[in-house]
Amino acid sequence: MAGVTPDEQRFTAIYDECRQRVWAYAAARAGRQVADEVVSETFAIAWRRFADVPEPALPWLLGVARNVLRDGHRAEKRRESFTAELGRSARRSAGDIAEDVAERLAVLRAMATLPESDREILILIAWQGLTPREAAKVVRCSPAALRVRLHRARRRLLRAAEQEAGGRTARAGGRPQVGIINEEMS
Amino acid sequence: MRDVLHTLREARPAEFDPDVPVDDGVRRAELARAMAGAQAAPERRRVRRVRPVWGLSLAGAVAAGAIVAATVVTTGGNPSGGTPRAGGAEPVLDARTVLLAAAEKADGQTETMRAYWHQVTISSHTYPVRTDRYAMTVRDRAESWTPSKPGVKAWGLQQNLGAKPATPQDEAAWRRAGSPAKFELEVPVLHKAGTAKARSKTLPARTAPGRPEVNSAALVDGDKVFWLGRNVTMRDLRSLPSDPKRLKAELLRWYKGHGTESGAPMPADQWLYEVAHGLVLDMPVQPRVRAAAFRMLAGLPAVKSVGKVKDPQGRPGVAIAMDEKTQAGVIRHRMILDLSTGTALAGENIMLVPAAGTKIPAGRTMDATVTVTSEWTNSHPG
Repeated sequence: MAGVTPDEQRFTAIYDECRQRVWAYAAARAGRQVADEVVSETFAIAWRRFADVPEPALPWLLGVARNVLRDGHRAEKRRESFTAELGRSARRSAGDIAEDVAERLAVLRAMATLPESDREILILIAWQGLTPREAAKVVRCSPAALRVRLHRARRRLLRAAEQEAGGRTARAGGRPQVGIINEEMS
Repeated sequence: MRDVLHTLREARPAEFDPDVPVDDGVRRAELARAMAGAQAAPERRRVRRVRPVWGLSLAGAVAAGAIVAATVVTTGGNPSGGTPRAGGAEPVLDARTVLLAAAEKADGQTETMRAYWHQVTISSHTYPVRTDRYAMTVRDRAESWTPSKPGVKAWGLQQNLGAKPATPQDEAAWRRAGSPAKFELEVPVLHKAGTAKARSKTLPARTAPGRPEVNSAALVDGDKVFWLGRNVTMRDLRSLPSDPKRLKAELLRWYKGHGTESGAPMPADQWLYEVAHGLVLDMPVQPRVRAAAFRMLAGLPAVKSVGKVKDPQGRPGVAIAMDEKTQAGVIRHRMILDLSTGTALAGENIMLVPAAGTKIPAGRTMDATVTVTSEWTNSHPG
């Protein structure tokens, strides 16, 4: 009689479990401002299509967020946002000269240079902690195909990071070079 | 360079950590916004109570999961307690007499419909802290403006009023724990209907009240305002019959043999009691329809009389109740009436007999909703 239906309860539980993950995914891909909108839209869709929401809900929700991002926000904008987000965290750690910090910065800068399809996989696996199987559900491919993509993304990330780490001393902390590589949109 | 994925993991900016807690205000607003929309209805969808979001006592939303909503009866300590005094001076009126008296009063009332049905409710939920040493009651105030015309936005104003110890005993335990201003409450969660695996979620709470938040939303389907066995429009509500037999028949048209909140079987009388509870406590029906609802309840044999009580706001009233056997135990659904006006003041859910394994002690008021204001008005907060 408290006025909360089983649907509302389950929905709220799913929200509590997944909201921040959806936000972090969207923010990592497209910046925090866009992330708020994406979260809002994603959960509105989840409520509307509640009967379709599987258990566990996270991969499904991330898949919805991914579509919302794709439909509403241009790839170019997304890259700019990622670079901007990067700038924020890079500035915060400036001054810390520890070796591993330099390494992390190089990796972050390298992320900005990768094709979005690579970056997406890396975000899902490394930052969201998804298994390849879960990540495959999000991007709608087979787990096998996901592993191949992850392998390639990781190789490109390593190459770019090594370049960043080397180039950085030369450019003395200049802005990351954002090479535009063919955007593979799915 | 070490394993690049490992470095990438460590390089994750702190704000992308998926485990940081969501700000409570953001959480409420986002939940409200999400659930403001209608649900697509694949056939065989479960009955859903469309308490339009603004009316969804956000406490409820927080407590989402507090299915085992019930309340404490009070023996000792709790001033709002309501057990009739055994052998006391005053005889307890029987439920039928109480309800017919309420109906009589409601019958004599008039009203003027205006642009919005305005209600102020205070709801409370009681949960143990994680450490299990004491229980806290979280309270939320919700104000709602439900439009009388379709196509008009509804408005809401919510405020978390903060938490306080549930009983004097809890207060003593809370003080011994150093009177913390913040704590984690353990909210029972019933998973999906059917898979009744006992789980719980942590609800962070604090003693300090939150800020009030105003919101507005379109009505469900553009015109549904309340749930009365099904989603109804203002027009549906205003045209309910004022004859108790016809009202009962009208309501029972939507009874499908199961509960209002789930697919579990529920007897018709229990179902009617729940639906009528919402009708008399929340809905802008004509006074004579409210009277009819009281008369209809007077005819249900399972409704019992509790006697004189005070509602959680301390207002005196008389209570009637229906007990329900649930997985968590026997829960008493109590309705507190003001016989001087023929209105319902509050609803409470009290744990009477906890089932084995249930952590809720006998006598606890698990939750309560008090209606502080119900009136027609022409203004909204926007």
